[in-house]
Amino acid sequence: MTVGALAEAEASDGHDGPERSAGGRGRSRRRSYGRYALGKTLGALGSLFFALVVNFFLFRVLPGDPGRNLGRGRMESPEDLAAFNQAYGLDQPLPLQFLTFLKGTFTGDLGTSLRYRVPVTDLLVDRMWPTLLLVGTATLLAMLIGVWIGVVGAWNRGGGFDRFSSGASLTLYSMPEWWLGLLLIATLAVGIGPVPGLFPTGGLTTPGVDPWSVAGIADTAWHLVLPVLTLTMAYLADYSLIMRSSLLEEIGEDYLTTARAKGLRDVQVRNRHAVRNALLPTTTVIALSFGWVVAGAITVETVFSIPGLGLLSTEALSVPDYPVLQGTFLVATAAVILANLAANLVYGLLDPRVRA
Amino acid sequence: MVAASLSPVAPASAASDDEAVFTVAYLNEVDSFNPFLGIEASSFEMWSLMYDSLTGYTMEDMQPAPSLATEWEASEDGLTWTFTMRDDATWSDGEPLTSADVAHTYGRILDGGPERSTWGSYLKGVTDVATPDDTTVELTFDKPSSSMPLLPIPIVPEHVWKDISEDDVKDYANEPDDGGVVGSGPFILREGTAGGSTYTFDPNPDYWGGAPHIDGIVFRVFKSEDPAIQALIKGEVDFVEGISALQVQSLEGQDNIEAINGDSPGFDEIAFNVGSIDTKTGDPIGDVNPAVTDQAFRWALNFAVDRDKIIQTAYQGGGQAGSTIIPPAYDGYRWEPPAEDAPTFDLDKAGQLLDEAGYALGGDGQRTMPDGSAMTPLRLFSRSDSQTSQDVMEFFAEWLDQLGIPHELRSVESNNLTKIILDGEFDAFEWGWYVEPDPSSMLSYMTCDQLGGWSDSWYCNDDYDALFEQQQVELDTAAREEQVKQMQEMLYYDAPYLVTAYSSVGEAWRTDRFACMRPQPDPGGVYLVQYGVYNYKNMRPASEADACAGEEGVTQASSPTADDGLGTGVLVGGGLVLLLLLGAGGVVAMRRRGSVGDRE
Repeated sequence: MTVGALAEAEASDGHDGPERSAGGRGRSRRRSYGRYALGKTLGALGSLFFALVVNFFLFRVLPGDPGRNLGRGRMESPEDLAAFNQAYGLDQPLPLQFLTFLKGTFTGDLGTSLRYRVPVTDLLVDRMWPTLLLVGTATLLAMLIGVWIGVVGAWNRGGGFDRFSSGASLTLYSMPEWWLGLLLIATLAVGIGPVPGLFPTGGLTTPGVDPWSVAGIADTAWHLVLPVLTLTMAYLADYSLIMRSSLLEEIGEDYLTTARAKGLRDVQVRNRHAVRNALLPTTTVIALSFGWVVAGAITVETVFSIPGLGLLSTEALSVPDYPVLQGTFLVATAAVILANLAANLVYGLLDPRVRA
Repeated sequence: MVAASLSPVAPASAASDDEAVFTVAYLNEVDSFNPFLGIEASSFEMWSLMYDSLTGYTMEDMQPAPSLATEWEASEDGLTWTFTMRDDATWSDGEPLTSADVAHTYGRILDGGPERSTWGSYLKGVTDVATPDDTTVELTFDKPSSSMPLLPIPIVPEHVWKDISEDDVKDYANEPDDGGVVGSGPFILREGTAGGSTYTFDPNPDYWGGAPHIDGIVFRVFKSEDPAIQALIKGEVDFVEGISALQVQSLEGQDNIEAINGDSPGFDEIAFNVGSIDTKTGDPIGDVNPAVTDQAFRWALNFAVDRDKIIQTAYQGGGQAGSTIIPPAYDGYRWEPPAEDAPTFDLDKAGQLLDEAGYALGGDGQRTMPDGSAMTPLRLFSRSDSQTSQDVMEFFAEWLDQLGIPHELRSVESNNLTKIILDGEFDAFEWGWYVEPDPSSMLSYMTCDQLGGWSDSWYCNDDYDALFEQQQVELDTAAREEQVKQMQEMLYYDAPYLVTAYSSVGEAWRTDRFACMRPQPDPGGVYLVQYGVYNYKNMRPASEADACAGEEGVTQASSPTADDGLGTGVLVGGGLVLLLLLGAGGVVAMRRRGSVGDRE
């Protein structure tokens, strides 16, 4: 995919674009963007390879011997332990294991989990969906609501809504996610007093319901309400505060006075002029937080027992389950690097100054 | 998706409530449904639902009991064991279960490879598995094996497994695709993946022991305790397995819920470094403090551990004070210290024993070595992943202080501690073991052969090893029990371990849903994750509880009440606090903003 992106970047360099017909100035801008994009892409590829190497050695440095940790009280004789190590290639010298790992990674084989004894790629695919659903939905919601809160708050700075929303989102931001989750379970899942227990206490689906049927999709959504609510509340301040402060910076600008002087209505001034300019920093934050989506949300996944990538990697640490750790970190680092790259590329288009 | 989540869909779980599906909140996930690969206790539970073994365990004291094998006989010299199997067992796909399946399963284990890791110890000394006919299995040994006739190895169907090569078995998941996994046990695995969050079992109507009385089992994995408890209170689950003693306390008095601390066959200990060596050269490694390599010093400290206090505080009352490495659950093998040497908490006695051994108190209140030199501080370790471990070692450090013994306490991850132990870079640490019904495994961890292997105290005693060899080939149970007791006595006085506690496992269930469960060991034991699947086979929906009414020791049903117990006051309080905080946060922010605004 990265190779494809590279080729595309180069190809687009030579393509006819609207700017090209505009003359020499457009042409040079185009070329310089192509060079900028190429540099960024190569940088991202380099980071990715670096992460790959670090992933391997980082986890081998961890104290702990998977066979010993797993086999305590189970594999009675040293021969039993040796049989385990041999079966999973742990008796090989480190450089050889590294070569096997590199070869496997480039051919799409991330190895076999030492704990679950199934291919790591299967585990990653299984765990990816719950995480994408949970963290993705929460990030999206937090982003939309947060940006809206920030805009409304900043535009009416010091008003009742602004004071309340800033206070509340900061309070939620500083509250431990697991505690927030437990409170929601105790009130909305179990029910207290007149509040009925509406939602399930945990999990992603009801056993026996086909997740791809209409009822199954509704069931999954039903299970996701509380965890998504918890995460959304926790993430809200990330977006609302940034949006609020960047919009506040724009509020005093002369071009807004000009816009008002033109006779534009307040909403138009806000949405067409101020917000557009203030969105730039928020865009960066949003792009980066989408990169973090696949890293999962460990605490919320734990409280609501959602089998996501965050839980997978924390649990793998205790073994340590090298192939799983390498896999989850590869996915997480690749996502962050790609999101960074995307942010860089978009930024380069939006703001020519950064290309220098 | 948002719209869907806001629409008032009735939770689909309500549908399954009408059926008597037993829903268990499980705090540990299954690591593999392949009985040759998994290691977690939760996985053993799954395999015993899916597969039978030649022999199983009794409920009272976990001794060998008939299962697929109805009777067995040993030859005079103990080198041949003949098992007669029942002829009415079938696989869930209709094929008959015969001795050929047993031979195939045992063959895989005896061949080595991954299958050997978990089950090899049960077939120690077996040289041949013969099947003279469909219902007879003959095991030949090169020397007698005292663990016989205990054979809890799950028998897998040859017609399914014969195509799975030695090389493929190491990542063979044994999970259902369409339809269940072919097994012979009382339940059939319908849905579930290793590390997944739910495992669903259907009853096997053709089970040779009779069809189960419930409509199925669902295991739901909860990643933390509190939500699991909430799910039990709400009635989303019928049983919670593996909770803490504190949670058991909190559930007392709840309507229709019974909560217990069941004895689990394991112990926790403070272990000393008796003398770590490089196993190749025999040279000492790890700079062990000479004090802990001295039996007299360790023995004195046996009286510097307040076990009762540890149980009350570190274990929150769940557990029993410890003494030797065989827990009380295994009555026959267990040795009790005589009254005069019982592990009482008596710092004066400990001090006196230390004085006698030459560790005299110096002028600075610190004890010195017998040669008069200053004592280097003991390197103590607790496990940072266990609060209990940290609490116990902090107490121990305090008691050492009172005796004038210098020490440094560090808390490290279990992973890390494993390495520290192997390098001998410690003087004492806290950890524990589970003890299998057959004591050989536990006893073996204290032999010289295990130095650099599973030994964690570096204990090595030739007399002990000689007894270990003897008890492994002793076929007379009474004689073997005597040998095992002698070994415990040796360990008790040599004191490589100060056994602190016999731990317990918290369990809670809804009495308005299911009844007729028995503990193992009976009485005092646990109700799930037992050795065997007695309860899954014999439990009944609460409405049919009359069937076991009056039976001694089984759980009874409570009549369901109209209104469920509501959340505890703590949680109501928590909700109020949340609202208050939000309000207060808002108000504080308003004030602050207000004043900033005023100033501007």
